[in-house]
Amino acid sequence: MYKKFTISDYTGYVIAFIFFILLFFVFKLQIIESEKYKNIAEKNIVRIQTIYPTRGEIYDRKYRPIALNKPSYNLYITPGKIVDKEKVSEFVSSNFNKEIDEIKKIIHENRYRSYQDILLIQNIPFEKMVKTSEQFNYYPSFLFKAEKVREYYSANHFTGYTGRITEEEYRELRGKGYSINSNLGKTGLEKYYENILRGENGQQVLQVDASGNNLEFFKHNLQTDPRNGDDLILTIDNDLQEYVSLIFPKNKKGSVVVMDIKTGGILAYVSKPDFDPNLFTGGISAGQWNELITNPNRPMLDRIIHGTYPPGSVYKPIMASLGLEENEIDSKTKLAKCDGGMWFGNRYFKCWLKEGHERLAVEDAMKYSCDVYFYDLSTRFSLEQLNRYTKQNYLSTRTGIDLPGERRGFFPSRKWYIDNYGKYVGILGHKVNLAIGQGEVLVTPLQICAYYSAIGNDGIWKQPHLLDKRIEAENTYKNIVDEKHLPMSKETLKLIQNSLYITVNEKYGTGTAASIGGIRVYGKTGSAENHMGKKTHSWFSGYAKCDKFEIGFDIFVENGGHGGSVSAPVARKLINYYYGIME
Amino acid sequence: MKKFEWMILGLLILLLIIGIISIYTASSSRIGDDFLFANYYIKQFIWIIISMLILLLLLKAPIAIIEISIFPIYIITILLLILVLFLPEIKGSHRWISLGLINFQPSELAKLFTIMVISKLISKPFLSDGQILLRSFIFTLVPVFLILLEPDLGTASIFFVILFSILLVSDLPKFYLILIISPILSIIFSFSIWIFIAYVLLLIYLLHRSNLDKVIIGFVISINTFIFFITPIFWNSLKDYQQNRILTFISPMRDPFGAGYQIIQSKIAIGSGGIFGKGFLMGTQKNMNFLPEHHTDFIFSVIGEEFGFFGCAFILLIYFLFLYKIAKSIIKIKRKEYRYVSVGILAYITFQIFINIGMNLGIVPTTGIPLPFLSYGGSNLLINVTAIGFILKYLNERSIFA
Repeated sequence: MYKKFTISDYTGYVIAFIFFILLFFVFKLQIIESEKYKNIAEKNIVRIQTIYPTRGEIYDRKYRPIALNKPSYNLYITPGKIVDKEKVSEFVSSNFNKEIDEIKKIIHENRYRSYQDILLIQNIPFEKMVKTSEQFNYYPSFLFKAEKVREYYSANHFTGYTGRITEEEYRELRGKGYSINSNLGKTGLEKYYENILRGENGQQVLQVDASGNNLEFFKHNLQTDPRNGDDLILTIDNDLQEYVSLIFPKNKKGSVVVMDIKTGGILAYVSKPDFDPNLFTGGISAGQWNELITNPNRPMLDRIIHGTYPPGSVYKPIMASLGLEENEIDSKTKLAKCDGGMWFGNRYFKCWLKEGHERLAVEDAMKYSCDVYFYDLSTRFSLEQLNRYTKQNYLSTRTGIDLPGERRGFFPSRKWYIDNYGKYVGILGHKVNLAIGQGEVLVTPLQICAYYSAIGNDGIWKQPHLLDKRIEAENTYKNIVDEKHLPMSKETLKLIQNSLYITVNEKYGTGTAASIGGIRVYGKTGSAENHMGKKTHSWFSGYAKCDKFEIGFDIFVENGGHGGSVSAPVARKLINYYYGIME
Repeated sequence: MKKFEWMILGLLILLLIIGIISIYTASSSRIGDDFLFANYYIKQFIWIIISMLILLLLLKAPIAIIEISIFPIYIITILLLILVLFLPEIKGSHRWISLGLINFQPSELAKLFTIMVISKLISKPFLSDGQILLRSFIFTLVPVFLILLEPDLGTASIFFVILFSILLVSDLPKFYLILIISPILSIIFSFSIWIFIAYVLLLIYLLHRSNLDKVIIGFVISINTFIFFITPIFWNSLKDYQQNRILTFISPMRDPFGAGYQIIQSKIAIGSGGIFGKGFLMGTQKNMNFLPEHHTDFIFSVIGEEFGFFGCAFILLIYFLFLYKIAKSIIKIKRKEYRYVSVGILAYITFQIFINIGMNLGIVPTTGIPLPFLSYGGSNLLINVTAIGFILKYLNERSIFA
């Protein structure tokens, strides 16, 4: 038999041995090698330095600048070196035109980050920097750094802007390489493509003492280079964008979208009134911010995807194609006689033309935009059919454009009416109203533009998008987007296309103000009644084709008046201009 | 309460006080002449109070209640370990259950109740060697498997220390333990043929001393030799990044941006403390936030920096006295189950202290194991104090069950 020994007798020795080992190494570090480590600690020389990447830049389709990085002098503060908090805040506030409370708030939030440099002010003019740095002897906590800041070349709603990381964002994103001083995309493309634009941090270990001797703790991998953010090439055409912005009716609110019907690439994206994104890059002041958000014209609102409005008559092609697809009408079917209106039960629904249109077939009903024709047509369908077909034409769904926070629009259902008006709601009256794009239906201008572009593209609906390609170091990646089909046959499509053509190009058509010799312009006007003002919203939407381009467009003027007289001329001008610059 | 071990309790309380002081200074920072304190020390104090109340409750509770609740709690713990895998990640792994104010690690609970369950199961009379091995392995591997999924390699490794220590004091013949660890050693020693040969000779000697059959010895030796040859082949078949990950674990200095950097900073903090330290609240390294975990895993480096060699030696002495006293006392526990539990607890607390301080000194790989009784962390503290509570309880009960 083997000799039985009890482990318990040895436990004490094992524990003593373990502690002897630990004590030995403590002794080695703190007594034998102490001088060496004291030196390093004092000079604070072994540390990781993060190397931040350069943010990708944004260009238009012809590689002209939209958002670039420009050099900027930034003021930093090191909380651990602050002598007098009050004096420091006052100094910054008086020299850099920033509220004293904001400065105090930043210092307070970063009070535990004693030895980190905290960003206070960005984008300081050179003269100012030289002048203030003369006084830095009295304020050892300040330092200037030469860095980069975003510069936007025009007021617009699609780039969005970058801004300083907030305390909450920092808590969430610190693991992804953001620092407390990072700038990140807050809205628009800057936000949507944040991950692409940002790039990846690099790192570097400093392990050299003050006299330049290598401390040699580490032998390899002392630096990883940052990967700079990708540049974005947009589908936007800067010339067209600028021109459209210029010709938009003065002092009016609204939007213009122009897109390439073959690709869905957006050429111009104008929402009025607009704001200068550069206001945000250096940290917007409380006063400027208040002015922007309390302005009754709402310059911060991107009307193209964040605004929803009744479409009015630009909705009519949907009704017409539903009628044709379901064989309720054909190209010759004439519906109810229009003598300026029509009775439904005890309610009289007016046509926009008091004198009336007589009995019309579908193409003429579109051309003259006769309301009675569409009232009558709507009685042949259930509300659910209307609801479903609208969605199938991508009007009450998001288009999926590459911008954050796009709205869905709205088309009511039977259930919605019952929930909101009670069990005995008269659906018919509502349905009649919906057929001419009035009532509860709401759309975004972008949805309308995408729809008309799809009609122009023979029924192939292209997802609207701003990004054409992104350039990463040496590689270029094309942005590939969704493609869907509108629910209509070739014959229906032909008929709708023809009605849009005669609306613009035949005598007495409602859209004749948009016609141009040599270019085939197709379009539909809309004048939508609304609760926002007395005047109707003015719509004109359609597409234009010639040997040089095929573009879809939507012009929307909030409380602008009639579509034919206010919006259609804008379309004519922009098509004309685009034809000119395409040479 | 005549036989109550006041010395153990006294040392425990002393350690907790040292812990509070260390957390207080570790979570301070200086702005000019002002000191700012994060509220970790207050939270820790509340946890100490809660832990002490539970300790008291444990000592007062009838032992029968504890006996019947062991299995249900083990099962609940396993369920919590499964649940935690489905909760959102915190800091890159699924270790914590977040209950608003407090974060709780089920793996802490699992350590204690795995000890209790396997001690109970293998202390039953008339068990064969096979039954002991099977029971202890199954009930250890289930939580280990779940904890590896989190993933938390450090905590999982503690379970093997627990298992090994309990088997060591059990009735199981010792050569089984040699058999269990020999393949692991073979892997480690496979880098040098001469060390491996020396190791095999030692193995033959130990097995021979255990009066084993020649066939079994031959079988064990050939398995180990096979491992010796297969290890380099397996190693070469690993992808570069996999090799790198293993090498970095063994030698953190290969990773200058992560583990290596932390160890350098910890060594600078401790080394610069010198003989007497920089003084209470006066540490400079901790202020620079070089060590993100200085109130938890790297608290020993803060102590080293501010209190110097004397401070470190004092803490090592207190730990030693505490563990030594426990080791000497539990020999007297006659009932097998209670002795196994006590040994398991003693082993894992000793192991954690060694790994954590060793990591601070840069002599063992970096793992996320906190320093028992000193590091900030509620559930860890609670479980460690409760564990000591069980030892005190069993020491108290010994007259009845002698």
